Amino acid sequence: MMGGRAVGMRGSEMEGRSSAVNTPVRRPVTRRSKSYGRSCVEPPSLFWQTPGHLTTLGHRIPTSRRAAKSHNITEKVDPEQVALLLDGEWKLSYVTPLFLFRHTQLKLYSKRLAAFIIAEKQQGVAVEVGLEAGFRVSFSAVLGMAETEEDAETVFIQIFSRPVFGADGSKPVWQGWLTCVNGDPEYLRSLPPDFTSLPLFCSRGAESLSALVKSWFQRTFDCSFGALGLSSSTLHWLAALWTGCHPAAGIRYLKLGWTMPTQPPLDIEYSVDPQDAWELWNSVHKEDGADERISVDEVQSFINGLETHFFRHFKIYLSSGTLTKVSTALGSAHHHGKIKMSSSDYISTVLTLLTECALLKTPV
Amino acid sequence: MDEQARSILQRIIKKTPSKRLETIIRSWNCLSEDQLHSLNYSQPKWLFLENLVSRCEVRLFNGNVTKTEIKLYKNHIHNPNQGTWHACQLFQAEDDALSVHFTQFRESFIAHLEDVVQHVSVGMKKLEDGAIWVRIAWGDNFRKPNHLKPTYLVHYLQSSYVFIHNVTPKHRPFLYQALVLATRHVSIKECHLSSRSLTAMRDLLMKQYQQVVFLVLNIFPNTDPNIEREHAESSEGRHQMACEAFGCGVLPKLETAVYKLETRYRGNSNNTLNDGDELFRGVVKFSSKNILESLRHCVSTGMAEGPVTPLLSSITQKGRNYFVITDKVSGATASQTPAPKA
Repeated sequence: MMGGRAVGMRGSEMEGRSSAVNTPVRRPVTRRSKSYGRSCVEPPSLFWQTPGHLTTLGHRIPTSRRAAKSHNITEKVDPEQVALLLDGEWKLSYVTPLFLFRHTQLKLYSKRLAAFIIAEKQQGVAVEVGLEAGFRVSFSAVLGMAETEEDAETVFIQIFSRPVFGADGSKPVWQGWLTCVNGDPEYLRSLPPDFTSLPLFCSRGAESLSALVKSWFQRTFDCSFGALGLSSSTLHWLAALWTGCHPAAGIRYLKLGWTMPTQPPLDIEYSVDPQDAWELWNSVHKEDGADERISVDEVQSFINGLETHFFRHFKIYLSSGTLTKVSTALGSAHHHGKIKMSSSDYISTVLTLLTECALLKTPV
Repeated sequence: MDEQARSILQRIIKKTPSKRLETIIRSWNCLSEDQLHSLNYSQPKWLFLENLVSRCEVRLFNGNVTKTEIKLYKNHIHNPNQGTWHACQLFQAEDDALSVHFTQFRESFIAHLEDVVQHVSVGMKKLEDGAIWVRIAWGDNFRKPNHLKPTYLVHYLQSSYVFIHNVTPKHRPFLYQALVLATRHVSIKECHLSSRSLTAMRDLLMKQYQQVVFLVLNIFPNTDPNIEREHAESSEGRHQMACEAFGCGVLPKLETAVYKLETRYRGNSNNTLNDGDELFRGVVKFSSKNILESLRHCVSTGMAEGPVTPLLSSITQKGRNYFVITDKVSGATASQTPAPKA
């Protein structure tokens, strides 16, 4: 297998895996049954009564993170595939672990999903009736995105429409990907065999197709999806992470956007000069050499600084509104769960943060 | 009908909703009753255009072309999404400035403009509310005046404000010069006020919006009467402040305000950055369907601390929505209050 690393396969195939030991003894019975169209995910407290082994994700909100490091990801990942990830804005969702998902079956999944979409369309459900004769689906593995042993490899899905009148359906009408980057190792190790965790789902394209893809995944792998919004603390982290990259990458600006709950609603966009933003960040963040960790206090201090400077001028309490977006030349993030990454050098950092958000949000 | 005139007409027809077409065409007074009746408004627009053109061939674009075009554009331009207007102000009126009337202004303006710009086509019309609309199509030695991208200018005689839409940097000096001379003033300056809504700007600058004060209690949503009693005094105070700063009643629909900050950093106090003389540069942009109402609401609900900072109240007090904020240095001590630069 290329890349020298086996794709994430769960179960007894992996030599020397400790998952067999850590697997909780009690497994909820309902989880195993394949009930199509019904989500089997029950609230954790009822079934996952495993004090030591399974990590209760609620306690794992980190108080510090690694600083954003520039990673030449194209060394590990095919540059063409990287380009697909950088091309535009993605809508975020979280996914619960997939049951019996096999990276070796991607071709089969492609055919099955295509058939599913066509069948649903013929029933007149959800998909806009167009001149398409059908759909072609392509599942592919984006090898090299995984950062640790526990991460499963990223899976990229594209849907192409086959127009009736001969034109080449080579431009995808829908794209999506599932990924896990630096996922919490304890949690991942504790998953029962046959479960694969790819908790972050990014999609772009017609909402009807997104719904169909999710529906198919739910039926096939017994998982469930949920909207992943980005809280202000996540947006704060991104603001600090990106600002810290300025000397290396040139962020060009740091833009923060708030919405105030007035009648009519008021949008406030504060665009900070990048050098000044970086100097402010540098004054609150003590570079501690090799480890380069960023603490949540430093992030808070940074944001407080900006909000206070704003307050001294306008006397408006930004905290009475909602931070809705953060953007720099390296990317942008929106409170409603949208992300755009513009620089391949920092993909891993952003995805690590988003994977963590997805895992925290996942009910199981 | 010449090519350009036809394009203009086509554009108008395309953008006007069918329901309003009849009213607009009627208002041109270019067709006879019979001709008007013979038009079929439910036709597809391209067909309608052909029919209209064949009837208007002779009458519409004979005679005073530009006057008709202004009629065509007046409704068109009131559509708020048609680009941005900028406000300017005339200064140092000569003794006879107040006595300038429409005919005199028109003759003078056109004469001065034609003096400096060859090949320019100017149309002017005075409306019932006293506004003078001027439409200028610019040409040069090689091109006829371009009627597809005209500059619009609106001026209220006896006021010192002029509103300009779509003028290139190249033509602006000529426009200013003609304006200054025709209105009998000495100079003209930009107001740092721009918006898509001409009416909002006009109302803001000419203070046509201060109306009856609403009763305080009518504005707040229903809350527990005990709480309301407790807070009545402070909320009344906030409401008073809000109205003083921004006005009462219905406010002009200004959509944005931009502040360029060039002040020293004023963040947390336990921060080394505070000692620097370095500027902490940034740009703050407020936007809303009606920022004045939003800001007033901020103040009256306590989202903004009182007293209202001059940065925000300057929008209404000075009638502008673009500011550069620098640190004010008064005498020996540097003041902590940021001040808007003129």
